[in-house]
Amino acid sequence: MEKTCTEHYELRKVPCPSGFTLANLKAELRAIWESNVKEWKIELAYPISFLRSLIEPIVFLLPFLLYGLVLVGGRYSENLKQLVGTGDIVSFIFVGYMIMGFIGTAVWAMGFSIRREQWFGTLESIYTTPTSRLSLVLGMALHSTMHQSIGTLLEFTVIYTVFGLALKIQGILPTLVVFALMMFALYGLGIFVSALGLVLKEGWIVAEGLHSIMMILSPVAYPLAVLPNIVQQISLVFPTTPALMGMRSFLLKDYTMEMVGNVFLHLLALDISWIIFGVAIFYLTDRYVRGRGALGKY
Amino acid sequence: MNPRKHTPKTFSGTNYSVVWSEIVKNIKILLAYPVVIVFWAIFPVFWFLPFIFQGEAFVGGLQSASFAEIAGTPNYVPFLVVGAFLNSYVLASLWGLGESMRREAYQGTLDYLLASPCNKAFILIGKALSESINSTLFAISQMVICVLFFGLEITIGAIMPIIFIIVLLIAGLYGIALMLAALSLQYKQSHDIAHVLDYVFYIFTPVRYPVQSLPFWGQLISKLLPLTYALIAVRSIIIMRQNVFFIYQEMLYLLVMDALLIFLGFYLFNWVEKKTKKSGTISHF
Amino acid sequence: MVYDSVDEAYSIQTVNLTKLFKKRRHFGIFGFLKKRAKEKESSGREKDITVALDHVNVNIRSEELFGLLGPNGAGKTTLVKCLSTTLLPDEGTATVNGFDILKQATMVRSSIGLAIGGERTLYWKLTAKDNLMYFASLYKIPRNHAKERVDELLELMGLSDRADERLEDYSTGMRQKVAIARALLHDPPILLLDEPTLGLDPTFSRQIRNLIRELCKKEGKTVLLTTHYMEEADEMCDRIAIINDGKIVAIDTPTNLKAMVKETELVEVTCYNLPHNIEDHLRALCPNVEVITALHGEEEKGNPSRIKIMGGSAEKYVGTVVDALHKKRARIVNLRIGVPTLEDVFIKLTGAKLTEGGSPEE
Repeated sequence: MEKTCTEHYELRKVPCPSGFTLANLKAELRAIWESNVKEWKIELAYPISFLRSLIEPIVFLLPFLLYGLVLVGGRYSENLKQLVGTGDIVSFIFVGYMIMGFIGTAVWAMGFSIRREQWFGTLESIYTTPTSRLSLVLGMALHSTMHQSIGTLLEFTVIYTVFGLALKIQGILPTLVVFALMMFALYGLGIFVSALGLVLKEGWIVAEGLHSIMMILSPVAYPLAVLPNIVQQISLVFPTTPALMGMRSFLLKDYTMEMVGNVFLHLLALDISWIIFGVAIFYLTDRYVRGRGALGKY
Repeated sequence: MNPRKHTPKTFSGTNYSVVWSEIVKNIKILLAYPVVIVFWAIFPVFWFLPFIFQGEAFVGGLQSASFAEIAGTPNYVPFLVVGAFLNSYVLASLWGLGESMRREAYQGTLDYLLASPCNKAFILIGKALSESINSTLFAISQMVICVLFFGLEITIGAIMPIIFIIVLLIAGLYGIALMLAALSLQYKQSHDIAHVLDYVFYIFTPVRYPVQSLPFWGQLISKLLPLTYALIAVRSIIIMRQNVFFIYQEMLYLLVMDALLIFLGFYLFNWVEKKTKKSGTISHF
Repeated sequence: MVYDSVDEAYSIQTVNLTKLFKKRRHFGIFGFLKKRAKEKESSGREKDITVALDHVNVNIRSEELFGLLGPNGAGKTTLVKCLSTTLLPDEGTATVNGFDILKQATMVRSSIGLAIGGERTLYWKLTAKDNLMYFASLYKIPRNHAKERVDELLELMGLSDRADERLEDYSTGMRQKVAIARALLHDPPILLLDEPTLGLDPTFSRQIRNLIRELCKKEGKTVLLTTHYMEEADEMCDRIAIINDGKIVAIDTPTNLKAMVKETELVEVTCYNLPHNIEDHLRALCPNVEVITALHGEEEKGNPSRIKIMGGSAEKYVGTVVDALHKKRARIVNLRIGVPTLEDVFIKLTGAKLTEGGSPEE
C-alpha cells in the first residue's frame, strides 16, 4: 500500500544544548529559575491565599509557645536548662520552629510538584520538553524556599516584638551555613517524595505522614534527649535533627569549632546520601510511570 | 390543550432517598481510598505527640503544678488527648462538609447537583450525615488508641454523655460548615476562608491549653466557638470525673449555638445559591 | 538517521511498536470475595490485558502531513505518547527525527512539538505570554530570542491583543491556539497533534486546520495528526493510517483508500420505521453485497434512520433493497447512490463504524 519514495529527504538538525556542557547547565538553571517565577506568578494570582500563607507559620507556632508557658508557669524551665544548657523556652521553641516551614518545602512543595502539574494538565507538556524533570522539581523547591524565608522573617519579627528572643549574634553565620547544608539534604528528600507522588495517587498521605514523622522525630519543639534511644538514632537520619541541634548551639549557647565541624560533617554526609537516594528513586519511578502510561492521569 | 410538548416524568422517590443516596455515594468514594481511611483513623492522635514530648522536656514528667492551677488538673496528657480527639471533628466539618461543594465543582458535578429537582437541603443533610459517620468511626479508632497508649480512662457511665456532647458539637460545627459551603459557591477562594477558620479554632479553642491561658480578648473569641464548650464538658466528665449535671451550662450554650449556626448555615446557603445562579458563576473554580 | 532502501529518510518510523495495559476491575465493596476466573484467549494473552498498540509499523516522510484516523480507544493517543517519550512501549521501538525514542529521548523531545486537544494543558492563572515564555525556557530558548518568538507566535495566532490576559478568560479555541503556539516555540521539525480540533466550533476548527496545513506546506514541518473526524483527515492529510484496536489496518493516500471501495457504489437509504433486524434480512436477500450497516436514529425526535449498503454496482440490488424496506413498512424519505467516504473505507476494513462521536458501532 505504501508508495516507494525516490526523493531524498534530509532530517532536520535541532539546535538544543544537551549533555554535560556549560550551555546545557545554563539552560537547566534558567529552567529552574523560570519554574520558580511561574510558581510565584500563579501564587500571586491568589493574593489572599498568599497573605494567609505568610501568617501560617505564626499561627502554628503560637500554640507551642502558649502551651509551653502554661506548663512551666513562665518562660524559664529548669528541666530544659539541664537537658540542653538553655532554659528560655520561647527562644528554644522559636529556633526549632523556624525550620518547620522548610520541612514543608521538601515534603509538600517538592513532593507535590509533579502531582500539581498533573492536576493542571500540564505535566505531559512539560515532560515532552528537553529540560530535565528534576529541574521542574527544583524550581518548585526554589519557590518554596523563598516563600518560607519570607514567612520565617515575618515570624521572627512578630515573636521578637511580642515575646522577645535571646539569640546570640555570633551564631548567625554558622546557622546560615547549617541551614544551607540542611536544605540540600531536604531537597534530596523532596525529590524522593515527588517520586512517590508520581506513583501513589493518594501521595498526600505519604507527604502528611512523613511530615508528621519528621515533626515528631526532629527536635523541633523539644530536645532530642526526651525521645527513646532508638528513636534518637533514627532521628539522626533526617537532616533537620543535626541542623536544629547545631542551630540551637550556635544561637542560644556558646559553641566550639569542634561542634561546628561535627555538625557540618554530619550534614554533608546526609546531603550526599539523600541527594543520591532521591535522584535514583526519582528516575526509577519516572521509568515505571512512563511504562504504565500514568503520566497524564490525575 | 396542554401547551407542553413533553410532560416531564415524575418518579416515586422522596427527599429522604436523596439523603440516603448521598450518604452511600460519599461512603463508596471513601472506600475507594483505603489508605485514607487508615490515615484518618490513626494520625490525628499522633499530631499531639510533639506536645507530650515538649511537656516532658519542660517539666520533667507527666504532671505540672503550674498547669493544674489553670486547667484544674496536673495531668496534661489526658488533657491533650481529649483535645486531639474532639479536634478531629473540627477537621472533618471544615475540610469535609465545608469543602464538599468546592470538590463537587472541581469534579464537574456541581452543576448537575444544582440542576436536579430535589431539595438541595437534603443533599447537604446527606453530606453532613456521611461526614458524621466517617468522623465517628475515625474518632472511635482514635479513642481506642488513646485508651491503649495514652492511659485515657473512660468509665461506662461517661459514654452516653460524651456521645450526646459530640452530637451537639457536630451540629454546631456543621452549621459553620454550611456557611463555608455557601461561601464556596460564591467566592472561589473559599479554601482560604476554611484555612482562616481552622486557624481560629487552632489558636482560640482549648485544644492544647486552657482557655484561661489566652488574653482576655482571646477568651472572648473562644466563647463564640462550640468546640470550647464541648472540650470543657468532655474533660469535666473524663478527667475531673464530674457528672452530667455539672456541665449543664456548657450543654445549654451548645444547644443555643447549634440552633443559631444551623439556621444561619441553611439560610446563607439558599441565599448564596440563588445569587450565584443569577450571576452564572456557580460552578467556576 | 533512518533510511529505507531507496535513499529515503523517514521523520518518524516505528518498528513493531507495542503497548499493553493491564485492566483494573472493581467489583464493589466485597469484590475480593468474588471469584474471578481467568480465561486465556486463544492467542495466549490474558483477558485482563488491553492491547493498546499491536506491533505498529508506520513510516512518516519528512514534510508530510500524516493522519492517524480511528475511533476512540483505537490507540492514536497511545502512539503519540510513545513517540513523545511520555510512554514507554513494551515491545519495539521508534525513531523520531532519526533519534531513538528509548535511547535518545532528550533529542526526540527537542525535535517535536506536542499539542493535545482538550481543556487543561496550560496554566489558566497565567497569561498567554507568561505560559509561552515559561515553556520557552523549558525548550532552552535564550530569553531574548524567546521574547521575539513568543510575540511572533501570538501574532500568528491572532492573539497579540490579548497576550496579557489570563487563559481562564480565553475561549476554548483561543486556548487551543496557545497550545499550538507552544508546540511551535522551538520551531521543531516535527509536530505531534493529538486531536487538535477536539471540542472546537467549526470556525476555530477551520482556522486550526488551515494553520496546520500552512505549517506543513510552507514551513516544511512533518505533522502527525490524530483525529476521529474523517472529513478532517480526508481534507488535510497527504497520507492516512487507519488504526483500530491498536492495529494499523491500512496506510495510503485518501484517494487510494477510497479507491479500495471505488468499484463499490454506496447506496444510502434514509427512512423511518426501520426494523431492528433489517441487516440480517437484507444480507439474506443480497448475498453478494459486501457491507450493510443500519444506523438507527432517534425517529421520535425527527431524526431518521439510515441504511448504508456497499457492494458492486448499485443498480443490481437497489430495487431489492427498496422492495424489502417497503414490505417491512419502512417509510423511505431519501435514496442516495454515491461515492464512498473514508468512513465507508473504515467500515469495509474493520466492520465497525466511525461515528461523528468517534465510538465504533458494529
